[in-house]
Amino acid sequence: MDIQIAKEEKTHILTLSGKLDGVTAPVYEQQVMALLEADPCSLIIDFASLDYISSAGLRALLATAKRIKLKGAQFHCANVTGTVREIFDISGFSSILRMHDSVAGALAAIG
Amino acid sequence: MRATKSIARTFTLIVSVCTVLIFSVAIGSFYHRSRVALEQEVANNAAHLVLASINRVETTLHAIGKVAEDTSRSLEIAGYHDQSLTTLLKETLLDNRDIHGFGAAFDLNPAFNPPHPVVPYYFRQGERLVFAPEGNFQHLSQDWYQIPKELGQMAWSEPSFDKASGTILMTSCSVPIFSDNGREKQVRGVVVADVSLEWLTELVASIRVLDTGYSFLLSRNGTFLTHPDRDLIMNETIFSLAESRHKPDLREIGRKMVLGESGFVAYTNIHDVSTLMYYAPVPSTGWTLAVVFPEAELYADVRNLTLVVAGIALAGILLLTAAVYWVARRVTAPLGALAEATEAIASGHFDTELPAVKSSDEVGKLTLAFTAMTGALKKYIRNLTETTAAKERIQSELKMATDIQASLLPQLFPAFPDRPEFDIHAAMDPAKEVGGDFYDFFFIDPTNLCFLMADVADKGVPAALYMMVAKILLKTEGQRLGEPEQILSRVNEILAADNDSCMFTTVFCAILNTENGEVRFANAGHNAPVLISGGQANFLSIRAGFVLGPIAETVYTAERITLEPGDVLFLYTDGITEAKSRSEELYGEERLLQTLQAASRQELAEMIRTVRAEVFRHADGAPQSDDVTMLAIKYRGMAARNP
Repeated sequence: MDIQIAKEEKTHILTLSGKLDGVTAPVYEQQVMALLEADPCSLIIDFASLDYISSAGLRALLATAKRIKLKGAQFHCANVTGTVREIFDISGFSSILRMHDSVAGALAAIG
Repeated sequence: MRATKSIARTFTLIVSVCTVLIFSVAIGSFYHRSRVALEQEVANNAAHLVLASINRVETTLHAIGKVAEDTSRSLEIAGYHDQSLTTLLKETLLDNRDIHGFGAAFDLNPAFNPPHPVVPYYFRQGERLVFAPEGNFQHLSQDWYQIPKELGQMAWSEPSFDKASGTILMTSCSVPIFSDNGREKQVRGVVVADVSLEWLTELVASIRVLDTGYSFLLSRNGTFLTHPDRDLIMNETIFSLAESRHKPDLREIGRKMVLGESGFVAYTNIHDVSTLMYYAPVPSTGWTLAVVFPEAELYADVRNLTLVVAGIALAGILLLTAAVYWVARRVTAPLGALAEATEAIASGHFDTELPAVKSSDEVGKLTLAFTAMTGALKKYIRNLTETTAAKERIQSELKMATDIQASLLPQLFPAFPDRPEFDIHAAMDPAKEVGGDFYDFFFIDPTNLCFLMADVADKGVPAALYMMVAKILLKTEGQRLGEPEQILSRVNEILAADNDSCMFTTVFCAILNTENGEVRFANAGHNAPVLISGGQANFLSIRAGFVLGPIAETVYTAERITLEPGDVLFLYTDGITEAKSRSEELYGEERLLQTLQAASRQELAEMIRTVRAEVFRHADGAPQSDDVTMLAIKYRGMAARNP
């Protein structure tokens, strides 16, 4: 898994690629928690290049989303498609998390 | 010790081979250059020798020619009568000991006033001079008379054996006697001096080079005049010899000799011995004098010297080899001792003493490094042993956790032998790492059977603990509440309290009314089950619902279907659909449907065995990261209860 972090205005944009599973989820969680600790603001995750997400990955996503909510910021998902989308749908994540068709759409939603 | 020997031997071998090569080149070059220099020297010497000898021959021949010429001039100037002519001839012969016979021969033409006898001639017999005139006029047709007469100048005849004894090789110098009558010069006769070639044979035989070298003399047309092999003299020419012995190069040399050339040549002689030869012409007679030396003898000294040098070199190389081997052994001996010690270390004897460090050279450094390495290894192995023991303890505890987990699931089948209106069967194959799949089924009341399938997020001990809690909560709340959506909502509320790590579980929770086959169910993010009805297997279309645990106040919705007698509901976790083959290919939902459809007529126990076997066949031994869990329930209908 590879994480690329960018910042646009007051929003972090994370681009995930590869697999978010039991091995890589703790890495993701640690990086995002550190990022939020240093610079707490809203977060958009771009899933376009992510091939697979396991239950451990889902748990890590939830944990980070919860942390952002505690800080009074927003957590948005963009470009969730393919296998990852199926997993999101089955587990009900797509109805809980805010989903967008593009990063621009997510940015617009944050305002 | 093998390594020690090997290094020393290799080193010695390389040094020896190099030394041998260097000496070989040096000695070979020395031998070759010596030969070239010697050949040059010999060629010069041979030329001097031959030219000096030719000079001597020439001087003698010239003196004889002069005597004949003087006599001829005397006869031209003064008028001699018969008596004074013979006296002149006798006196002249008496004065010149080199001449064997001396005479004159005259034309018979009366105009030239021939004397009587017409061929006065004296020759030596011991100390006496014998007068032997010829009177039969044969001289008129003979070469010695004809050639000078026709050429009008001095001529040397081809050598031949003397007529008297037939053993003395002779040649004749003939000088024409001119008669000048005022109008023209005419030849009226010839003065002839016969010369024995014995002195020449001796002279040529005295020209010797080395021990077996020799010289020979050839006539104008290539006939042997002198040669150590007497059989050749006057019997063979160089050309007849070349012909009979098949020596074309000899013929070529002969051709050059006859043409009056000189030269230094190498050739193989008639005895097939490599030979060098210098030859040069005798100008006045057109003969050729040649000196011959066998190559072997010529180069014998050089060869002997070369052999001595080679012998010294060989002895030197042997000495050098021994010295190099000794030094190499001495240098590599500590290395050998070290190698022996490290071999013991390599086989696990870490307490083996390494050889004491005596020097600060590479071997010394190596020994110190090995000592340090052995210490580090010992420490590492001690740590490893401790770590391994700790890890083994954890492993065994995890194994126990897995066993406890499995023992919590109902595993006794048939589970309800006294309830023929339905059948239920389940199986779980835990992955290597302890996971969080579980299933459960229990009666809420005599009619309603609650059954569920769940999958806790992630793996390991946290997942296992969470699974325990979820399972107990689901059962207790299930028995208390009796409706699937209420059960999920209630358990979610309990789990969501203080769930900072956001652990969650997916649950498919259903309740079967055993009297009419109605199934009420609610889903918390779990995979949709498969409904097998009338031989057809299809995924049940259900609401997703959010997973259980992370967020309080999640709302779950109840749905319902009615099972006809014979219908089967198949619940599973993603350990089945995401089972991977060796080539990372997923088992997938399509395969699952096909397998279930093919097994639709089987009893539940057999159906579950079939699915398991298919999944394991697909995995083909590839290690699976997820538990493989499934549960099937078949409704038979009340008719099965009251046949």
